[in-house]
Amino acid sequence: MSVGLALTTIAGGFLFPFAIRMMWGKMVENWGPIGGWMAAAFIVGTVWTINHGLETPLISQSGAGWIDMAWAAGIGLLVASALTGGKVSKAIPNIAAAVVGGVAGGYLLSLFL
Amino acid sequence: MRFTRGVIGYCIAGMIVMSVWGPLASNYGILGGFVAAFIIIGPMWYMNHYVGLIEHDDDSAFVDMGLGVAICGTMRDFFMIGSDAVVDSLPTLSMVAIGAVAGGVVAAYIEKDMAKKKLVSEGVLIEKQKSA
Repeated sequence: MSVGLALTTIAGGFLFPFAIRMMWGKMVENWGPIGGWMAAAFIVGTVWTINHGLETPLISQSGAGWIDMAWAAGIGLLVASALTGGKVSKAIPNIAAAVVGGVAGGYLLSLFL
Repeated sequence: MRFTRGVIGYCIAGMIVMSVWGPLASNYGILGGFVAAFIIIGPMWYMNHYVGLIEHDDDSAFVDMGLGVAICGTMRDFFMIGSDAVVDSLPTLSMVAIGAVAGGVVAAYIEKDMAKKKLVSEGVLIEKQKSA
């Protein structure tokens, strides 16, 4: 991975959790649950386009193992909420659940894809 | 119960994203990916974080369903291609993680800054009401 592509990959990782923190909560506040659908389309959809959708995307994949921008959401949102009063110790059961659920899901996918 | 609910929520979101999104994008391009975001992330967010299948205490740091999706996608390739595929991808994962931490930190500081201004303007409002 070249320095340039490393830089753009960092930028892609920055962009996704940042955009979610800035807009998602406000959209739900303003429009109720429909705001969450708006956020799904216009935050996730739009950011996906630059991070993964383009032919030469912002997040450059160095190997065959897929690194989704969801990694950025999981890590970035945890950091942001920890800095705004969330207790990391209380999040550990959910982190464990995400690991178990993610590994189980990945295994099930490998059985039929 | 909370743990089981979390496992189910993260697993379903991960599986649908990591199987349906790719074909939509490869068949219909960027528009397909955009539609995928709407029809997958919309209901999955609603189920996991709005209805609350994934449970968080009020004072808990937030574990987004994205973490489950991310692990699911990387582990899918671990099981289908092998461990080498994942090792080769570690540079990307590290760069994404660095960017994500930076994004989270910056967003948190900006939110605090915005809240400060709001508090100040509310304070001014209270002062005005007192004097009126």
